[in-house]
Amino acid sequence: MSQDIAYQEAYRREKKARREAEQLLEDKSRELFKLNNELLNTNNRLKEQQSLMLRNEKLATLGTLSAGIAHEINNPLAFVLSNMESLRRYINSYNALLKLNRQWQEQQNLSPSLSDQLQTLLDEQDLIFIQEDTEELLTDTEEGLIRLRDIVQNLRHFSHSQGSERVKADLAAGLNSTLKILQSELNDSIAVNCMIDSLPLVECNPGELNQVFLNLLINAKQALEYNQNPQIFISATSQDDVIIIRIKDNGSGMDEQVCKKIFDPFFTTKPVGQGTGMGLSIVYGIIKDHNGTINVKSAQGKGTCFEISLPIAGTS
Amino acid sequence: MKGVIFNILEELVEQRCGMQAWNNILSELGNAGIYTAGKSYPDEDLMVLVGAVSAKLEMPDSEVIGMFGEYMFSQLADRYPIFIEQENTLRGFLKSVDEVIHVEVRKLYENPNLPSFNCIDTDDQTLLMEYRSPRQLCILAEGLIRGAAQHYKTTITLEHPRCMHKGHDHCDLIIRFQA
Repeated sequence: MSQDIAYQEAYRREKKARREAEQLLEDKSRELFKLNNELLNTNNRLKEQQSLMLRNEKLATLGTLSAGIAHEINNPLAFVLSNMESLRRYINSYNALLKLNRQWQEQQNLSPSLSDQLQTLLDEQDLIFIQEDTEELLTDTEEGLIRLRDIVQNLRHFSHSQGSERVKADLAAGLNSTLKILQSELNDSIAVNCMIDSLPLVECNPGELNQVFLNLLINAKQALEYNQNPQIFISATSQDDVIIIRIKDNGSGMDEQVCKKIFDPFFTTKPVGQGTGMGLSIVYGIIKDHNGTINVKSAQGKGTCFEISLPIAGTS
Repeated sequence: MKGVIFNILEELVEQRCGMQAWNNILSELGNAGIYTAGKSYPDEDLMVLVGAVSAKLEMPDSEVIGMFGEYMFSQLADRYPIFIEQENTLRGFLKSVDEVIHVEVRKLYENPNLPSFNCIDTDDQTLLMEYRSPRQLCILAEGLIRGAAQHYKTTITLEHPRCMHKGHDHCDLIIRFQA
């Protein structure tokens, strides 16, 4: 019997010791788990910051490069465009000459030998065709030059070398007027949910910021093309000394690789010839120029959210 | 299910029916009965043990589980006083449970069967706890809440109008605190 009691005592002691050991294990593993979670969070934040920094550096480099290219192309482009105008005037003079010759020929004002000589020259040099084709060549060339001029203009917008004028403006009004412009395009199929607070006036270039809103809304609309229940959420609010504007859609979203490149000039996911790839680059340039920041969060198949924050007090 | 839950069940049986009863249950089930708090074990093991305990006590499973829940709270409070000390009131404690479960269970193993409690302060006297768990152990949760109320010396009434066992997607546990 005393043996039994001894065993029971030993059992209780062992049980207590085990409980202590287990408690130690639980406490330590809890500590480790919490520390590990903190580390994971810190690491994620660091990674996010790092990729943001890399993105900003890359875009700054591209900005400098774009400004340089835009400037270098702009000068020759200006004189080529101006020369084209002169050339068109000159060609018109030559055409008048040719027309007069043809008129003389037809009205038999020329001696037969002169008329023959003229006809030979017209045939040999294919002057009638040249006259027609020159008109087409000039038109095409002008079109090409105008496209070049637009690209240069876009690059300058992106590299924010414009030095735009600043006035005090109401961004809520800007957002609403941009929405009005897009009303006919959006209203039919897309539900637009707005939560726009009344905002303090901001020193800015309202035209440029309206372009930002327009570009983001057009992108949202395009992302919603194949959505069953397309929705756009727009919110604007002021916090302390910044204004925060979010434009969110529940559209196709983007993967991480695309997300990293969307602000790069000429990056587009559209088929060749359908997009310039400059829309978001311009948005980025304008926001940067206003000392603001723009960030994007996106999940494939779920949607995209752009968040703009702009300082209220002077942005120059 | 965490090993400590098995340990507490063992203690409950030992207390009520003696050491031999637990040994008998284990040997009848062919279960070695080695459970440590540092590990997780299959949920089915616990349910089989609870079934055997109900048979021994000649009580329905649900009653045993409810009783077990109440007892479990006092034992857990004894082993891990830190979670009780952090909260001064029953309401505060109940609202902290979800977070505690997540840390305590996940600190050693990722567990896909984790329960969740979503707490809604209906009014000053009432707290709604939405319980979701693939294990559907809402009766155990009820017992634990009763145990917690005893610990905090707070009188409560507990209603359970929505229940996963009645086909709802979650259980509503409505706790009314008596002034």
